Amino acid sequence: MLGKSLKVNKMTVSWSWREILFGQLWPVLVALTLIIACVVALSTLALRVEKVMTNHGRSLLAADLVFKSSNPIHPSLLEKAKQRGVTISAQSQFQTMAFSDQKMQLVTVKSVESNYPLRGELNLVGKNKTLQHQVNPGELWLSARLFALLDVSIGDNIAVGDAELTISGLIQDEPELAYNPFNSIPNLFMHASDLAKTGAVQVGSRVSFRLFVNGNASSLTALQKTYLLQAGESWIDENKQGRTASLINKAKQYLSLTILMVILMAAETLILTCLHYARDRSETVSMLKSMGASRAWLRLWLTTQVFIMFVIAFIVGCSLGLLLEFLLRLPLTDILPKQLPSVGLQPFLFAIGVALCIGLPALLIPLTRLLDAPAINVIQQQKTKYAKTSWWLLLLPFCALLLFYASNKLVWMVLLGLLALFVVLAGLSYGLLQLLGRLKWSAAFSLALSRINRSPKNSLMQLAALSGSLMLVALIWLIKSDLLGDWQQTLSPDAPNVFAINISPEEQQGYLEQVDTLALPRSDAFAIIRGRITEVNGQIASEHVANKEQLPNILKREINFTWVKQLPVYNPIIAGQWGGEKTVSVEQKVATDLNIKLGDRLTFEVNSQTFSATVNSIRSVKWQSMKPNFVFIFSEDVIADLPATWMLSFRVEQAQNELVNQLARLYPTVSLLDFRSMGHKIQGLLKQISWSLTGLASLGVVSGILLIFTLLRLSLGERKREITLYRTLGASKKRISHTLWAEYGLLAISAGFVAAIAAELILFSLMKWGFQLPTQLHPSMWLVLPLLATLIVFISLNSVIKDLLKPLK
Amino acid sequence: MGTSGAGKSTLMGLLAGLDQPTSGSITLLGETISAMNDEQRAKIRGESIGFVFQNFLLIPSLTALQNVTLPMVLRGNEDDRSNNQKAKQLLKEVGLAGRETHLPTQLSGGEQQRVALARAFVTKPKVLFADEPTGNLDQKTAAHIIELLFKMNQEQGTTLILVTHDANLAKRCQRTLIINDGHSHENKCQESQC
Repeated sequence: MLGKSLKVNKMTVSWSWREILFGQLWPVLVALTLIIACVVALSTLALRVEKVMTNHGRSLLAADLVFKSSNPIHPSLLEKAKQRGVTISAQSQFQTMAFSDQKMQLVTVKSVESNYPLRGELNLVGKNKTLQHQVNPGELWLSARLFALLDVSIGDNIAVGDAELTISGLIQDEPELAYNPFNSIPNLFMHASDLAKTGAVQVGSRVSFRLFVNGNASSLTALQKTYLLQAGESWIDENKQGRTASLINKAKQYLSLTILMVILMAAETLILTCLHYARDRSETVSMLKSMGASRAWLRLWLTTQVFIMFVIAFIVGCSLGLLLEFLLRLPLTDILPKQLPSVGLQPFLFAIGVALCIGLPALLIPLTRLLDAPAINVIQQQKTKYAKTSWWLLLLPFCALLLFYASNKLVWMVLLGLLALFVVLAGLSYGLLQLLGRLKWSAAFSLALSRINRSPKNSLMQLAALSGSLMLVALIWLIKSDLLGDWQQTLSPDAPNVFAINISPEEQQGYLEQVDTLALPRSDAFAIIRGRITEVNGQIASEHVANKEQLPNILKREINFTWVKQLPVYNPIIAGQWGGEKTVSVEQKVATDLNIKLGDRLTFEVNSQTFSATVNSIRSVKWQSMKPNFVFIFSEDVIADLPATWMLSFRVEQAQNELVNQLARLYPTVSLLDFRSMGHKIQGLLKQISWSLTGLASLGVVSGILLIFTLLRLSLGERKREITLYRTLGASKKRISHTLWAEYGLLAISAGFVAAIAAELILFSLMKWGFQLPTQLHPSMWLVLPLLATLIVFISLNSVIKDLLKPLK
Repeated sequence: MGTSGAGKSTLMGLLAGLDQPTSGSITLLGETISAMNDEQRAKIRGESIGFVFQNFLLIPSLTALQNVTLPMVLRGNEDDRSNNQKAKQLLKEVGLAGRETHLPTQLSGGEQQRVALARAFVTKPKVLFADEPTGNLDQKTAAHIIELLFKMNQEQGTTLILVTHDANLAKRCQRTLIINDGHSHENKCQESQC
């Protein structure tokens, strides 16, 4: 007879609905909804930002993908590109002399086709300020510096190699950026059809050939896969673009870490709320069983509830997530493009997947255990014997993690770190509380401590939940601050943006004075002597390299040496000490590549003259910092007598163009390398990423705090019966609130400290091995976390205390 | 009857098939329930047994009416209209007409126990177990509930097994077993003689 009841009827549905609304299921529903909302919001935003950043990266590349070769592009590649239906544009790049009537200058010629660039902006300003975006046959476009260096203006003729061409105008913006100040020879654009006239490209001449490619992801990948790279050929995409790539990659890593941490926090809440619900409902299940409910019926009853919850959570969560993403995007309006890249169904599918992976085990494990609640409990409490627990469900989130994050070092670092730390720290804080319990305290504290120590399992669970959420909140915020701090340091708004090189020794003093007179913030002046390293401890340098298969670039060409009295402050010494006679300081990476140790004797060659110096220190150098940096810095006695030119860098604002021109006029032989527009572009990108990260971090922190609040309220709710009893027995409001304060205050403070230690340790490993950035301590966090925890305790206690103090009816 | 801890509830749990004896056998309505598994006993309970508990045990998220129809739903009676009709009739009998849509928290203790009585009788059980049904109620309400219980019991011809330590209440039953220290003996004294 009972068999036919296995159908969901109207009452079961309406009952499930009421159970969710009035029973204890709503916190579970809230947690589930939050997971979905957060995942939808964060992954939508992450996808959009990633697409925007990829576009940005690609516009710096001038295409989706670039093929670079030292030989003319192989016809088979062109053929393959044609087959794939991708858009292509070829470019030849070489250095040659350009001559005006009065002057000559080494220039970089970029000969491009009419469809260049495939991505990014090329702004060419012609006569009468006309603006155009592509190079046409017969045209010649010069970078701003060349006008000064060659002393020409629009309409003049100049000779480029053997070709005589008329200047069409000025290059205002160009997509491809060069990062190395010493490679930055001023450039000009001409059309590919005029290339032959220059006679510059001949057998044996140094020309770099590029093929810009645009197309969809699959055809680009296919193209790269089907073409076998020859020597001197390489592919470049936005992930391989020096500084921007590392910026973007770190931002991407941060995005996925934040998503993971928010999911962890929500999962924690979901599990706790669900356990709470199962405990609360065991009496109801016993009662239903006493009235004859079969396990099958109970299973159907619980499944209906879970199903309804998932449906509501999906609908509400997805809408909430989209709203959240919209709000998060508001501060980014200026930075994001008007036409936002669409994200498709991916975030929603991802959110549903995450919710199922976490929700199913979190809900079903305690709920299936609930089925084992014995019927006899309606009249006599008995210990439940569990038939079997569906622990296998735990494989679900674990497999999903493996599938999605298998190769993400950062994610595993966080997860393993969390696990290990919690075992250790939970033990520590438990010991501490035990110790406190032995000391003499006021009545409220003793009562609180005895309560904490009486149910160690419960207290530890709460401690873990609280400190876990606090730690995640701290991590989300601090990683963001550390990342941004590092970037801003690398490229601070007052970072130098103009380099002056080729200053003769006679001009040096006067030039420095002139820069100071113009009140331009500048670096020290450095002597520059071109040379090579030849030997390490008497052995030929190329035989002393760490990795014999790949000869370091430094051995293939001449590099810049300098000498100083004191090392620049922005080059921290990693090993050794600056000073001594006939010594040299070596940059860290080169020291590793060439297997150079402190005390090694290095031999160098400058203009066929050899000399030696002993390594006194190894330095760390930030090459992106736009400050003068060197691989080898010698003590004065080694190379000060060799003929040198001087260089320095200084800061010029966008509006101070006239000052640069003034310097150029006063010292015509000094080359000025102007990185202002590049710096500006990178600043823009940095700002864009900073905003997104701050938005994400704020969302993470807010949802973390909300979750902690929910947890505390739940925990306080569980205490209701006990507290009501105290109240009934006549305990004063003061005594009860003092005891609660003492208990939860202690919990908050210890959780705060545990979280601070854990966050500091995880942050250290993340920064050192994950993001590969300098590590630091965060003393303010040690204060803020316990305070934040106490504040949340205060708010949650205040919100429920009135209800708790009602005596029994 | 018996003092606290004498074993009344344990015996009742065994008799109603809520629990399994470690030794011996129990026969209820001609079936050896001690030999049955959980599911089989649940089936017997659903078909032939009703309960009234000391602490009412109503489902807090269901209305009075839904609490009463619940045993029928568990039995597989899907006809909401006839279920509701029966439940309404019973609620009227226990004096709760017009309060069908109230949640347990909106009812007093006595009212909650009346809902529980209606719920116990809605499936016309053959045997009704009542565990200290007035234990949580004041004297006046308790008396009222007991009157109702005996009245409905008589009308429906149910076998009532009542656990109590109230001697006056025990006197109203046809047989009284006294449990002491796990041993039971029949109380021979008749209503008129004691």
